[in-house]
Amino acid sequence: MDWSMMKEYLPFLVPLVIAQLALAVTALIHVLRHPHYRFGNKVMWALMVMFIQFVGPILYFTIGRGEE
Amino acid sequence: MRGYLVFLKKELFEYTKTYKLLIMVLVFVIFGITNPLVAKLTPVILKSFMTDGIIITLPEPTAYDAWMQFFKNATQMGIIVMVILFSGVLSSELSKGTLINLLTKGLSRKSVILSKYTCMVLVWTVSIALCFGLTYGYTVYLFPKEDTPNLLFSVSCLWLFGLFLLAVLLFSAALVKSSYGCLFITVIVMAACIIMNIIPSIHRYNPISLATDNMGLLVGSIEASSLYDAILVSSLFSMIFVSLSAMIFQKKQL
Repeated sequence: MDWSMMKEYLPFLVPLVIAQLALAVTALIHVLRHPHYRFGNKVMWALMVMFIQFVGPILYFTIGRGEE
Repeated sequence: MRGYLVFLKKELFEYTKTYKLLIMVLVFVIFGITNPLVAKLTPVILKSFMTDGIIITLPEPTAYDAWMQFFKNATQMGIIVMVILFSGVLSSELSKGTLINLLTKGLSRKSVILSKYTCMVLVWTVSIALCFGLTYGYTVYLFPKEDTPNLLFSVSCLWLFGLFLLAVLLFSAALVKSSYGCLFITVIVMAACIIMNIIPSIHRYNPISLATDNMGLLVGSIEASSLYDAILVSSLFSMIFVSLSAMIFQKKQL
């Protein structure tokens, strides 16, 4: 994709990136602060929420998160 | 009434604290933005795969493609995420035993059920409205001067289907103890609806038509009036399921 095309889609990309980052960062903070998981360990979940966009954080909050 | 409002406030607070509200809203926001984008970019992406030997002719993307993405994402991923997030609606508090204190202090069980349903409906309404608003805005921006009839009616049908689904979810949560059991019953009810949809005479009254006929409404192959029966049946069954879950919960041993 060249730059002029990128510029055309900037109104889409900026909010999209912000939303994805917000999801990843909240999940990462939660992973580091609450070291109890239903399965897996800290390193695994930290990598998952950081590198698997969109699906990683959702998986963490729905099935990975342990009870307080 | 006071118990209902207090518990509703507590529920909303719980959804923010457990990140359920955040996830629902962000998932639907991301869908809202990507829907028109995917519709617009699909031909470009496919073109980049094209080599010398293959020629693919693609029609220009239209606003209909964006709404097709919207209804596909909202009815599949959106609803799956919602059902999984809300599957612990009763079981989490029952297993922790935090609800018993409130009930012994005089909170009626009916208001627990009602406020839980209201809260789920609120979250669903906000999410679908955000998703719709974003898709609408970007679709107008990308595909100006394209008219899509019946759009609001079609989305309202989807919203109503969500209400029906949440009522089923609440009913199954009252019926069984674990959140997995709740998920299981909800999935079975949905599967039954989908299987029954094969029979044409039932399709008219089946709540699931509200989530499958959306594109037909936009394109004009399905009349809006043909969904009135399904709307009636869904609203009726939502009310029945909510009252049934209140009745079951009233008699349930905690």
